[in-house]
Amino acid sequence: MVIDVDKCTGCGACSVACMSENNVGVLEDETEKIRSITWLRVYQIDNGKAFPETEVAFFPRPCMHCQGGASGSPGQAFFQEDTDPQEAHTPCVSVCPAIATDYDDATGIVSQITSRCIGCRYCVAACPYHARYFNWYDVPWPQGTPRGLSPFVSPRMRGVVEKCTFCYPRLQRAKNKAFLGGGKVGEMDYQTACTEACPSGAITFGQLQNPAHKVHKLIQSEFAFRLLEKMGTNPKVYYMSKRKWVRMMADNHLSQAKATQAAASGGHK
Amino acid sequence: MDWDRRTFVKFAVGAVLGVHASPLIPKFMDDTAIWTQNWNWVPVPEDGAVAYAKTVNPHTGTGAMAKLIDGRVEGLRAIRVEGNPDHPLSRGGVVPADASALQLLYNNETRVAKPLLRNRATGVMTQITWPQALDLVGGNLAELAQKGQAHQAAALGTDPSSTTGQMLMRLMQALGSPNVAFTPTPRETMALAGLFMTGQPFLGFDLANANFIVSFGTPLLEGFGAPVAVRKAFAGWRGYPKNQAYLVQIEPRASVTASQADQWIACKPGSEGAVALAMCRIMIEEGVYDRAVESAYGWNDVDGMMGFKSYLMKSIDRAKVASLAGVSLPKLVKMTLAFAKADRAVAVCGPGNSGDPGRLYDFMSVLALNALKGNLGKPGGVVAQQPLPLKSLGGALPEPKQPPLAGSDRPFSVNNVHDLAEAALAGKPYGLKTLILCGGNFVFNGPQANLMHDLARKTPFVVAITPYMDESAAMADLVLPSTHWLEGWGDSTTSFGSPVACYGLHRPLVKAVAEAKDAGDTLLALAQRLGGPAAAALPYKNLAEALAKRSQAMGDFKKLAETSYWAQKRPAYGQMRFNTPSGRLELFSRTLRQLVSKGAGGGQDLDKAVRALGVKGGAQAAFLPHWEEPAAYAEGAAYPLIMQAAPSLRTTWGDEAITPYMVKILPDTVLANADKLVVEMNPATARDLHLYAGDMVLVESSAGSLTAKLTLYAGAAPGMVFVPLGLGHQAFGFQVAKKGMNFNRAVKVTSDPMSGMPIWELTGVSVKKVRG
Repeated sequence: MVIDVDKCTGCGACSVACMSENNVGVLEDETEKIRSITWLRVYQIDNGKAFPETEVAFFPRPCMHCQGGASGSPGQAFFQEDTDPQEAHTPCVSVCPAIATDYDDATGIVSQITSRCIGCRYCVAACPYHARYFNWYDVPWPQGTPRGLSPFVSPRMRGVVEKCTFCYPRLQRAKNKAFLGGGKVGEMDYQTACTEACPSGAITFGQLQNPAHKVHKLIQSEFAFRLLEKMGTNPKVYYMSKRKWVRMMADNHLSQAKATQAAASGGHK
Repeated sequence: MDWDRRTFVKFAVGAVLGVHASPLIPKFMDDTAIWTQNWNWVPVPEDGAVAYAKTVNPHTGTGAMAKLIDGRVEGLRAIRVEGNPDHPLSRGGVVPADASALQLLYNNETRVAKPLLRNRATGVMTQITWPQALDLVGGNLAELAQKGQAHQAAALGTDPSSTTGQMLMRLMQALGSPNVAFTPTPRETMALAGLFMTGQPFLGFDLANANFIVSFGTPLLEGFGAPVAVRKAFAGWRGYPKNQAYLVQIEPRASVTASQADQWIACKPGSEGAVALAMCRIMIEEGVYDRAVESAYGWNDVDGMMGFKSYLMKSIDRAKVASLAGVSLPKLVKMTLAFAKADRAVAVCGPGNSGDPGRLYDFMSVLALNALKGNLGKPGGVVAQQPLPLKSLGGALPEPKQPPLAGSDRPFSVNNVHDLAEAALAGKPYGLKTLILCGGNFVFNGPQANLMHDLARKTPFVVAITPYMDESAAMADLVLPSTHWLEGWGDSTTSFGSPVACYGLHRPLVKAVAEAKDAGDTLLALAQRLGGPAAAALPYKNLAEALAKRSQAMGDFKKLAETSYWAQKRPAYGQMRFNTPSGRLELFSRTLRQLVSKGAGGGQDLDKAVRALGVKGGAQAAFLPHWEEPAAYAEGAAYPLIMQAAPSLRTTWGDEAITPYMVKILPDTVLANADKLVVEMNPATARDLHLYAGDMVLVESSAGSLTAKLTLYAGAAPGMVFVPLGLGHQAFGFQVAKKGMNFNRAVKVTSDPMSGMPIWELTGVSVKKVRG
């Protein structure tokens, strides 16, 4: 997935479309953000400058679907499994005692099987992106509202962890359809709910390694970057921005000098 | 066979091996996992055949697709609202209000299922039948008509161009009441500005094809026209490594639009129009304007009155405007020159951040700037929409005898809910006996919510036609359930600012809740109940039939309903036709002058008449695009700060309420500590007032107040306070109600000079720390 920060207007359509696709519930008080479940949360950042130089930008943050492994550029051994087992891990997968979450090499998706989850919340603690949420409460569905729920994603119970699955049920349906039709799952056959919903087309979704897909080209851009690359989590979600301060903030590890140097040598990779 | 020890052991070992070889253990484990998690209060959505149906959300103008499931037990139900990729304007995108529409549709706790009668003394609601309800309203209206008091019945609606709005107008007119008013929108202001200057009421901005856009204080990315269509244009402006278009935002706050713009020019609130005029003057002085504008009527002086050029030269000094607006002059000049040089540049006006209809003279100034740029009728410029090919619902009806409550003191009147409420409450020239609220939740949406609240409280008989048990329904004597847009028929017309005409039609996709009826059907039933001229004015079986008649020219109705929209193919490029008295572009509006002088004589009288309409500049300026100080500047020392709304698609869009999902995604700079509204202020202003982040403050205007938590935001203009829109509902269930406070309860609505439209972009307020 590639998210163009310069196109994002922070309207939240992606977030709401995600919640309606995945049957996320609404509690009475959702201002307690640490317990409020939003698979895709839109964060707002600003450049910290005084009036009238202030500027804001938005970071929609789904699950990053970390692969782990050595960090590097896409041109290098970026998508290959790191040979050092100590290095190569998805933060949440490596701590799960119940095998409720796993990294799928074929799709690059980190799964979440809520019915296996025992609610220990190790993965929540391990995730550096705060992408995982624990169901602290039962969802109080107001009378009548369950009629609007989708049968393709099970509503979760209290006591389990949930997160963005890149709309995995959509992939399953696309695969079924392709199987019956005798074809392959094409780029547009499998798109996530947030990608479809975004009114400014800021989100692009596809296979990063498939040269025919748009995302493959986008991530080669000098303006593409990922969140907290220093940690070597090797996320599958890329961001793009022409604004340097936005790129700087995405990886607070970079020093000003380093960022300038990176920009001079053709961007921050 | 004997059961000796050996046999028993053999049997036991065999049984153990057998059980292990069978799938019983994994099956049993699996089932245990499922059973233990199968809590009866976790819903199990029913599966079934999936279908998609196209429709249009009338509140946002988004082309939508409802994902429907046909279950064996629960029947047909909608499970998602997605974008319709075939819709020419929204092209598959949605905004949060579209994507969460089902939360308003399916909520038994907030929907009105049956007609309800409220006892005013106790507030208790009792269910009644439809015939009883119609008898009540019909009887009330018939009695008023009989007594010759039909004018004391008023109806408020949201959109006069929709078929339901048209029906409301015809019904009231046939009854003999001139009092039908609608939500004021920038469409009216634009229509007036367009009529006065070009003779075209339907003007739009060809945003998608422009490559230099200057937006004058209008929240392009937070809510403007059809929000998805604007975003699609915006997406086209961005690109790598260079943007395809240059966007300049002129407004006092580092809003989303300002931040996403290539250049943000922070100006003082309300000075946007002056900046537009300064740009005009700079273009003239630098000689970088389209010479064709010189042939416009009113470029030079006319009939001894000042022309546009003389006005600019006399009253608009670039340095003075720059200091008045607080912008850097060199930056402004540089931007203006770039605007003049760009091949497809457009200046955009529209609703204010607070969602008001905009100031007429600001709109005219922006149109003048576009004329100077010479982009009228050009790709990427200002274009005239083709009028929608809609038929009238019937022949002309006799004009009611009494003057309307609102706007009778104006040379041209736009009937709006605010003026009507103000006049009715003052009893000038008469009060109201019956009030019909047809959608719109006016008690919450206002514009000045306190005023609408008083109107609903003081009118003896209030009827609310609404899908939800909202704030207006809670105050009504009689609540009539209407359908949600996914359940019933209805239509919507071209959104503000769209370059092409676009008609949206929505049809029943799922079964309506209990006894809910389309609002149009309720009006038709009422007309039938009244009989006589009312029934003759609306001779339709149902709303669908009326829609079919109205949209006849758009082809087969069934097909139209399935495609859900009709749109003009491409913007009308080419020489713009000026339907003005002079047949030319009018920078000095003859239409306006004729309208005003109809009531007044020439000379001194004209000047007096113009000043009575609120135009401080007098007759010399009244017919020209010009700038006047906003009323909020003159609120005095008691209200030293200026309040403006911080709009967002996350809090509101149109007259529909915020949904639970939208509440869920609000950041803590909008809603905090479960129920506290958060207002923004510049750190320097807060320091001057001895306020700190996290303080609870009372924001008070001369019209109302609200309490909120204070947050400091460097991007807020000093001397101002910014308040989120659309929060503070008292209805809509525990996920929405009692969260934050309603901005509309603190705004002070004033009257726009000349047009008389209510405006509330800026309100003078005081901010004090309170305990809490």
